[in-house]
Amino acid sequence: MSVPAPMAPAPPLVALEPPLAWPAHLKSAVDEALSHYPVKRSAILPVLWIAQREWGWLSPAALKLAARTVELPEPEVFGIATFYTMFNLKPVGKYHLQVCMTLSCSLMGGERIYRHLAGKLGVGHRETTPDGRFTLSRVECLAACAGAPCLQVNDDYHERVDEAAVDRLLEQLP
Amino acid sequence: MSAPRGPHLFKDIDTPGLTGIDVYRKLGGYAELGALLQRAPEEAIEVVKASGLRGRGGAGFPTGLKWSFVPKSTAKPKYLVCNADESEPGTCKDRELMEKDPHRLIEGMILAAHAFGANTGYIYLRGEFAYIQTILDRAIAEARAAGLLGQRCAGSGFRFELHTHLGAGAYICGEETALLSSLEGYRGQPRLKPPFPAVEGLYRCPTVVNNVETLMNVPEILRRGAPWFRQWGTDKSPGTKIFSVSGPVARPGNYEVPLGLPLSTLLNEHCGGMRDGFRVKAVIPGGSSVPLLPASMLDTPLDFESMTAAGTLLGSGGVIVIDDRVCIVDALRNLIRFYEHESCGKCTPCREGTFWMSEVFARLEAGEGRAQDVDLLADVADNILGKSFCALGDAAAMPVQGALKHFRAEFDHHVRERRCIVNRRRTELEQVPA
Amino acid sequence: MSAAPDTLVRVTIDGRAVQVPPGTLVTDAARRAEVAIPIFCSHAKLPPLGACRICLVEIGLPKRGRDGAPVLGADGAPEIAWMPKPQTACTTPVAEGMVVATASAGATRARQGVMEFLLVNHPLDCPVCDEGGECQLQDLAFAFGHDASRMDEPKRTFVSESLGPIVKKEANRCIVCMRCVRYCDEVMGEDALTAHQRGVHTEISSFDRQPLACEQCGNCVEVCPVGALTALPYRFRARPWDLRQHVTICPWCSNGCSVRLGVRGSEILRARGTERRGVNQEFLCVRGRFGYEFVNHPERLGAPLIRVGGQLQPAGFEEAVTFAAGGLQAIARRHGPQAIAFLGGENLNVEEQYLFQKLARAVLGTNHVDARTRHTAPVTGDAVLRATGGGRPAPTFEQLVRAEEALVLFEDLQAEGPLAQASLIRGQHQHGVHLTVAHARRVKLARAKFGGAWLAVRAGGELALVHALTRAVLDERARHPEPAPLDPAHAAALATLARALPAVAESEAATGVAADQVMEAGRRLLAATRKAIVFGRNTAQHPEAQALLQAIENLGWASGAITAGRSSVMFLGAKHDSQGALDMGLVPDRLPGYVPLADRDHYGAAWGATLPGEPGLTAPEILRAAADGRIRALWIAGDHWLRSAPDRALAERALANAELVIVSEMFLTSTARAAHVVFPAAAFAEKEGVTVNCERRPQRTARAVAPRPGARPDWQIFQAVARALGAAWNHRTAEDVYREIARLVPGYRGTSWATLVPLGSPWAFEPARVVAPAFAASHDGAPPAGEGLWLLAGGMLFLQGSLSHRTEILPQLAHEPRAWLHPAEAARLGAIEGAPVELHGPSGRITLRLGLDDAVPEGGVFVPDAQVGVELNRLGSPSGAGLRVRVQPAGARAAAPSAAERA
Ligand SMILES: Cc1cc2nc3c(=O)[nH]c(=O)nc-3n(C[C@H](O)[C@H](O)[C@H](O)COP(=O)(O)O)c2cc1C
Ligand code: SF4
Ligand code: FES
Repeated sequence: MSVPAPMAPAPPLVALEPPLAWPAHLKSAVDEALSHYPVKRSAILPVLWIAQREWGWLSPAALKLAARTVELPEPEVFGIATFYTMFNLKPVGKYHLQVCMTLSCSLMGGERIYRHLAGKLGVGHRETTPDGRFTLSRVECLAACAGAPCLQVNDDYHERVDEAAVDRLLEQLP
Repeated sequence: MSAPRGPHLFKDIDTPGLTGIDVYRKLGGYAELGALLQRAPEEAIEVVKASGLRGRGGAGFPTGLKWSFVPKSTAKPKYLVCNADESEPGTCKDRELMEKDPHRLIEGMILAAHAFGANTGYIYLRGEFAYIQTILDRAIAEARAAGLLGQRCAGSGFRFELHTHLGAGAYICGEETALLSSLEGYRGQPRLKPPFPAVEGLYRCPTVVNNVETLMNVPEILRRGAPWFRQWGTDKSPGTKIFSVSGPVARPGNYEVPLGLPLSTLLNEHCGGMRDGFRVKAVIPGGSSVPLLPASMLDTPLDFESMTAAGTLLGSGGVIVIDDRVCIVDALRNLIRFYEHESCGKCTPCREGTFWMSEVFARLEAGEGRAQDVDLLADVADNILGKSFCALGDAAAMPVQGALKHFRAEFDHHVRERRCIVNRRRTELEQVPA
Repeated sequence: MSAAPDTLVRVTIDGRAVQVPPGTLVTDAARRAEVAIPIFCSHAKLPPLGACRICLVEIGLPKRGRDGAPVLGADGAPEIAWMPKPQTACTTPVAEGMVVATASAGATRARQGVMEFLLVNHPLDCPVCDEGGECQLQDLAFAFGHDASRMDEPKRTFVSESLGPIVKKEANRCIVCMRCVRYCDEVMGEDALTAHQRGVHTEISSFDRQPLACEQCGNCVEVCPVGALTALPYRFRARPWDLRQHVTICPWCSNGCSVRLGVRGSEILRARGTERRGVNQEFLCVRGRFGYEFVNHPERLGAPLIRVGGQLQPAGFEEAVTFAAGGLQAIARRHGPQAIAFLGGENLNVEEQYLFQKLARAVLGTNHVDARTRHTAPVTGDAVLRATGGGRPAPTFEQLVRAEEALVLFEDLQAEGPLAQASLIRGQHQHGVHLTVAHARRVKLARAKFGGAWLAVRAGGELALVHALTRAVLDERARHPEPAPLDPAHAAALATLARALPAVAESEAATGVAADQVMEAGRRLLAATRKAIVFGRNTAQHPEAQALLQAIENLGWASGAITAGRSSVMFLGAKHDSQGALDMGLVPDRLPGYVPLADRDHYGAAWGATLPGEPGLTAPEILRAAADGRIRALWIAGDHWLRSAPDRALAERALANAELVIVSEMFLTSTARAAHVVFPAAAFAEKEGVTVNCERRPQRTARAVAPRPGARPDWQIFQAVARALGAAWNHRTAEDVYREIARLVPGYRGTSWATLVPLGSPWAFEPARVVAPAFAASHDGAPPAGEGLWLLAGGMLFLQGSLSHRTEILPQLAHEPRAWLHPAEAARLGAIEGAPVELHGPSGRITLRLGLDDAVPEGGVFVPDAQVGVELNRLGSPSGAGLRVRVQPAGARAAAPSAAERA
């Protein structure tokens, strides 16, 4: 047993960069979300969605903001955000290409669509093109089985696609 | 105007502008809402009981009975939650219903809520349904503006508020208790039953969770009565059901047919049979969670009892057609990877078992299977079945058991020959033109 | 078919019939039937989860006919309907006639399946795992004779990480039982841990993998059934099986937790909770878990020291004893016994406390005995006893967990009683305990997330607040007398009291708390059928302590927290045996067992001595008397007086002026350096004895290691000196001393050493002896007007007393000492965060770095008094309602932890 080690310097007591706050244009949306539930914590998913739509992904600062907004401990919010697959804890491209790989789509060529995109964009699962335009993801059933194979670009469904259709789609995207 | 796509829910589904309240009203929507809300709530429960309506979400639990479990006299608020998570692979009916006919869901929820006395409702949508949330929110705003939602629904004394809630990517949140955890703002993991939601659900208050299709059946049933609903289907499985048919059939899509219709009729007549050059090898009749049926059993009627008798389940009505060029082992690998990905991780058998099965499938697929692997799969599936916390574990185990029951030969072949029994892997197949 | 609450339920488990209360879980019923059912995710302090599935069993219920009567089989026994699926025993409550099979083919297969699953991703690294030897998974795998051989795929792997200085995480070993996360949340109220991701990728960690910002209690490590969470400080120090395990009582706070010391040779290598024993079971706070290190410290005193020619020099024990005895005798002869005083002893065991005062009274003839060295004003020896119910049965921690309303007066339980705090947090979380916390700072229990009420009392307004609460309760009674009728014996007295107290509204100015908040608190306290009032050293050391304790006694009786039969008022002493010190008569006006001096013959006869009848001086009076030379000899036992005395300047003068100072200590503190004789004392883990916790539970401590060579238990030192002074004491063991206590001391009479095990029964007076209440309203305790900020002193979690400075980990966790101000206050003073500020008091000043904390009220400055180098008593001692200090930015550098303090 050694003699007492020198005491650790006290941690910074005020956060170094000021904590993130809701931009004015989002305040009403946040309040609206909170108003839907008898308890604040129920609004955590809506609030995380608002943040992700605004900033494209959920940075630690955004997660802390969400925690403060619904009065939940920050670690718990981190656990919630990582439980769901649609929250991006890393930045993603302008267009998030989500190719369904579950059985119905796979039966109709989902894997081929994915391989085609991977080759064309030169990225793999959850990777983003250098120009920051596209992020490619393998996803599970999108509830478009009868329209297999299905590709979701951000919120939009594109069904019964083939390589040609995908190529056309990518060209048309602004 | 083309022929109606179905006898009931799909009768007018493709009517242009149906998402708007005016068109919905023109077709008779909301017409009798006020009058129905004047009636005693118990009546509604009795009518729905008599209609024999069973849950369309997968479990097929009698809807009227479920409502009747909600305690009548309680100080606590009550909640109605619409399960619009539609996450069962092979199923895409609720999406079309909500996308095209949102007001029918709203009217159904008002009536259901009135029946057991809920004053607040939530529609839990899977995260990918953001665009449907927009449609529903608009419809809800219309209904509120028209005085159908709010303090005095349709001029009655009944108060009902309705909100949409967007999930964020988790199959398990379709399971009702996980859905409630998620809605309350926890990680979407299932909770102990009992207590059942009807007694202790959302915020530990009495709660009914119903599927979209279930609720959309309610307005017509209350308007036209149980006998009208029973004109379709069988005694134990009355009414119509929407089946989502996927795979290489001529016309994949959603079909509303009377329950009890033979599976073969659905495939051959409604879907126009298989595409040229494809032959059906097996069909998963009720969403990916149920055991498959071999081609030899396609005449099984599509109703809860017959499907159970045939060793599978009607489930959510997601009909996945597997053709003869598909390797069953490959198909199962695909599904088990899904369950591994979606296991919430709360309980050991599902969390570890789905991972383990997934690893073994990968090995088989890679042609590195071993003699004991097939029995190992059977054993692991059996160790999950009935031992997991919620039914997701079972949902992963049953398909494996079904596949082994009917297609063990393909598994053995995989081990022996280190390759698929079919000449080409499904995934190598050329694109099937739409 | 549920049995009536009072009747028991009959269940049969593996053929063994047991009767248990309705609602009992099958796992607990099985324990009663002595049938072992493995569990991982379930934990006694957490609600059932049913997640790990290792407790699967087969369960059946008697078949019932239409009439509801059991259907009997051919053999006349009721037919059993078995459930189709195996059930989790940890979530299933028993039912009348239930039959449970834990060893049937079905149950065994189910559990073997789960066991195999648990090993699917569990690394086979037991040989290098710290949990090895105490791993529940390892034990079970052994029992089931299962290996993971069927799973030979590459396992899912995580990188290991350290979550701060205490918790090391090996996620690959995690079985996701969620004990750590739930314990952290529901018992500790910290929410520092969470599960990331899901499914097989579920991983326990912190926010964004940052170091845990929490109490560092290490209970997550304790409840982890495998080696996923281990304690960094213990990493690879030893394998459990090379350690001797000794269960003893924690030496820090008054909660009296049982701690399991792991010893190799003469060194203590670790401290752990005790699973199913003690008041705490698995629980320990950071001090209890990591604070034992001072025992092994190289600077422990080895040989006695005596002052020769101004120099302290090593001496033999006998030599030192003769020196001390001679000195005492000489002073007694020249100046009379009234010139001798005995201070300290709150850290000693009751046997030592008993002999200490016996030495003073019976051998030397002085009543100048007081353990309460921190007191700033005289307090009668029975004041705390009366405030806690006059010897009626005191509340237990279990009562805190189950209370409806708990009122915490002026203490930060995080520092003063971590187990008490954890009990209230768990109670709040699991049983809806409502918390009302009266404290100048927003301490942890006052945080919004615990849903309680925070009475932000103005420093100096404590007395006014307790009066106001009492008045609120009495007013409420006047409004509805029915529900909780007053003890008729006291009704009249309390009515007069009510009239004597200012109306609640009038005391707002003095208390700084809104009247309606006070009314609400009073209403809740009165309405609750199960309630608790907790107070501690901030009350006892208050300049108005005497009045404050009287006021708490008033409140206790008025609110029904004290009744003729029992008390719900708990006192948290400053040290682990502060309660013992009061019980054993380490006060100038009471003999052991609170016997008044008038009845001194009771002891005089037994001790064969005539005892002084005049009450002696209290500690603060002794301080003054010694400072101006009226007291010439001091014996200070186990107390760093220069730190604990309320006024450092006075204490220094006292030590300088005294002709003889005797100190028994473990280290050469600055107090000891001023002594003429220093006796090396044994540490808590080196001696046997009894210590009394805040539940008034006497619990025996164990000797885990031999005393440092040269060190002795204090009782042996006292006895040696007593014998040298001619007393015929010859106790061979502490137990022998306790026998005398059990023979003579009221409250302890008839108890036996053998039964004083952890969680043994608390002491209480027999009804004949309980002290009758007296009600009085002293002045309203309004804080006097004055300049400067209120000095808010207080303890802190990571440090307690100078011993804690002699550990490796605690000072590191405590960080550098600071003076804490509300940001607004700092702005007003133009002081910057991190820069040094000067605190000027009546008799001195200290300099510290400034910290900002909005939990500190404006108009106050908070300085944790436990920290290395912080000597608040240099500022002078508070008089009247509190101490005011002038705070200003300093030109000078902040006081570095003064080396003097440690050397
Ligand atoms: C793993 C799992 C996933 C489920 N997913 C859905 C779903 O996506 N939609 C749905 O309506 N029900 C789903 N269910 C069934 C629900 O738990 C619940 O039974 C149903 O929503 C009740 O509504 P109903 O009675 O109207 O069918 C799922 C069940 C399990 C076990
Ligand atoms: S079976 Fe277990 S792990 Fe799987 S989803 Fe249900 S609770 Fe989660
Ligand atoms: S101990 Fe029962 S499920 Fe974990």
